Amino acid sequence: MNNRTWWRILPVCLALAGLGALRLSAEDKAPPITQVNCQQLGPQRLGPLPPVVIPPSNPQSSAKIHLGKMLYFDPRLSSDRTISCATCHDPAMGWSDAGPTSKGIRGQMGGRRAPPVSNAAFSPLQFWDGRSPSLEDQAKGPIQNPVEMGNTHEAMIRTVADIPGYVKLFKDVFGVGPITVQQVADAIAAFERTVVTTDSRFDRYMRGDHQTLTKLEKQGLEIFNGKGHCTACHWGPYFSDGRFHNLGVPPKDPKNPDQGRYAVTKNPEDMGAFKTPTVRDAALRPPYLHDGSEKTLESLIEFYDRGGGKDPNLDPLMVPLGLSRTEKAALVAFIRALTSLNPEVAAVKPIPAGKLPK
Amino acid sequence: MKKTLTTIVCVAAALLLFSQSVSAIPAFARKYGFNCNMCHVAFPKLNDFGQRFRDNGYQIPGQAGLEKTVFETAVPIALRTTTGYSLYKNGKGTMAGFHIYGLDLLAAGVLHKNISFLFVYTPRIDEPAADFHGPGSGDNPAQLAAIESANLVFSNLIKDKLNLRIGRFEPSFQLLSSKRLTYILQPFEIYNFIGGLNGFDYSANQLGIEASGRFKGGLKYGLGYVNGNGANPDNNSYKDFYGVLSKTIGPGEGQSSGQRIGVFGYFGWQPTDFSDSSVSPVGDANGEKNRNFYRLGGSLSLNWKTFNLQAMAFRGVDDKDFNDIDPTQDYEFWGGIAQLDWAGLADNRLVASLMYNWVRPPAGAEPQQLNAFSALVRYYLGSWSAVNIALHAEYSHRTIGVVNQTKDNLFTLLLDFDF
Repeated sequence: MNNRTWWRILPVCLALAGLGALRLSAEDKAPPITQVNCQQLGPQRLGPLPPVVIPPSNPQSSAKIHLGKMLYFDPRLSSDRTISCATCHDPAMGWSDAGPTSKGIRGQMGGRRAPPVSNAAFSPLQFWDGRSPSLEDQAKGPIQNPVEMGNTHEAMIRTVADIPGYVKLFKDVFGVGPITVQQVADAIAAFERTVVTTDSRFDRYMRGDHQTLTKLEKQGLEIFNGKGHCTACHWGPYFSDGRFHNLGVPPKDPKNPDQGRYAVTKNPEDMGAFKTPTVRDAALRPPYLHDGSEKTLESLIEFYDRGGGKDPNLDPLMVPLGLSRTEKAALVAFIRALTSLNPEVAAVKPIPAGKLPK
Repeated sequence: MKKTLTTIVCVAAALLLFSQSVSAIPAFARKYGFNCNMCHVAFPKLNDFGQRFRDNGYQIPGQAGLEKTVFETAVPIALRTTTGYSLYKNGKGTMAGFHIYGLDLLAAGVLHKNISFLFVYTPRIDEPAADFHGPGSGDNPAQLAAIESANLVFSNLIKDKLNLRIGRFEPSFQLLSSKRLTYILQPFEIYNFIGGLNGFDYSANQLGIEASGRFKGGLKYGLGYVNGNGANPDNNSYKDFYGVLSKTIGPGEGQSSGQRIGVFGYFGWQPTDFSDSSVSPVGDANGEKNRNFYRLGGSLSLNWKTFNLQAMAFRGVDDKDFNDIDPTQDYEFWGGIAQLDWAGLADNRLVASLMYNWVRPPAGAEPQQLNAFSALVRYYLGSWSAVNIALHAEYSHRTIGVVNQTKDNLFTLLLDFDF
């Protein structure tokens, strides 16, 4: 075969190789986020939050929300009656806690920061690793986590069923019958769906009040959506893609690093990846990142400006940003402008023991 | 009168030579609701994120299959045009006027997971100065009608490591992109240099197929197999091929962070005789007496804060049959570019740049020796989503030749509009 013939055959070989590779690609595993429907695919524009979608399996009612609120603030759900949902998801701490990670029963420290409950209704998956597909499912987890509430579902149900006030409330909401873990979870989730912050100054700005943001905050919005690359992950009204990214956060125990999403999917690409948290109300709940390793918004932005940390599985979205001091200040100012002004959410106070069902 | 006409021809030719089609694609910004600076240091120059987005087939890095296709979004069409005022001065006179320098119509998007496309059409723009041949003669347009790009991208055939571009595309050996050059009128001179009888245009988009990919640690490659004449159809049966290898040290892509070095080589053939050639039904010619040529070079991109120093140089060697000065010797030349960019103000609203171009032709071709010193300042009127306007001031001073050296100066003030 002469040289000229070879050159004519080469493109055909390349094309065949390409088709073969395409076939391989088609056999790839499905993306890990199966719960996100196609309408939610891809970056959404920043804007005010839409109404919460209520799952048909768990319709809202005033009585159910009230019951859920009682359960949310009731430490009797834990094994030693010291830890409630609100202990780690405290309204006064932006529905998270002081961190850096959360303290459970008997002073045990968890490995991760408490994700905020506010606006969690908009998250397609729950927990930092997304192991839970719904608020209802999520609500069951911490009760029997040995580090968090340290109880069993059975023991928790016995406790609740022994409290006449709860028996009445459950009967009012779910009718006659034994109290179940699912009912507890449904009620807590119903309450959590009311913890929605729709009225930050950013929201007012987006609704047309262009005077409400300062010049620096407007500049921060531009950078958030541009040079800062923030909206590559913190997109849409919820300011989160609900997906999982490895930011290169140095593990606290390098010999036993937190596997993140990998623990759920066993996909090597998910090693060390954690769910994108919402930026709404972020100013209320330092420290930041899944392990609370960045103490302030300023240090968090420095972290991103460096392009995150070093990790062999570092997300390709992480690149150094080259932000100036003013641009960093503008970003911080904008994130502070995402703090909610909703009185109904800000006014939620822990329910004192004396006012819990007896 | 003759002097006037000569002057007009000179300025028209100069503008045609200087002007270049460039790309920024606000259709993507519209799709995502992002500002331009998500992908651009300042449009049209890509930042690291934008480079990864492009490499990933116009899909957000790591998000292939998790975003909308063109069927779920607004029509992905974008437009870019530049219009303004130029003042050109050479040894024969001074010429000035308002111009439309270029117009790009772009469409791009994702068709299916890991299958995307890019289409760029540059319509013909008439140049009034051509009217000296008579009204409507159509000579010397400011921009020729062309399908600058029309390609499909098959991404992640092997995740990150193998992507294919098929069609007409900007070849990856252009580590410094001439299509996303911040300068509007001052080109990369060595890209455009055509010496001797070889018509190969280094700056041209090529028709063919290219494989490219990246590996952990910042190593990237590109391998192409193309017509080589930058045109449709080809003028010979031989195809050209090229390879490029680059390595980024540190985080980023070397566009806006990290330090990148790269080497590239292009090997091709061009016909030297069409006297006995025939043409296929689709227009391909079998040009005779194909002779080979190659280009070998390297580039670097260094970043510090918002400063970016880019440089590249290559050596060109064409077969002696292309040498119209000394046919006993190969036609050898070299040249390069050094460009220092700075971005400042919030969200990179202000961009300043200095650039030096040099071209060194072989002995005997000194009249084509060239040095060009350029500077620009650009100010972006907004940081909006999917639309932007830049106020652009650019100056170039060129010296051409050695003995009978000519000098020219071009100052331009224009608006660069991208929608």
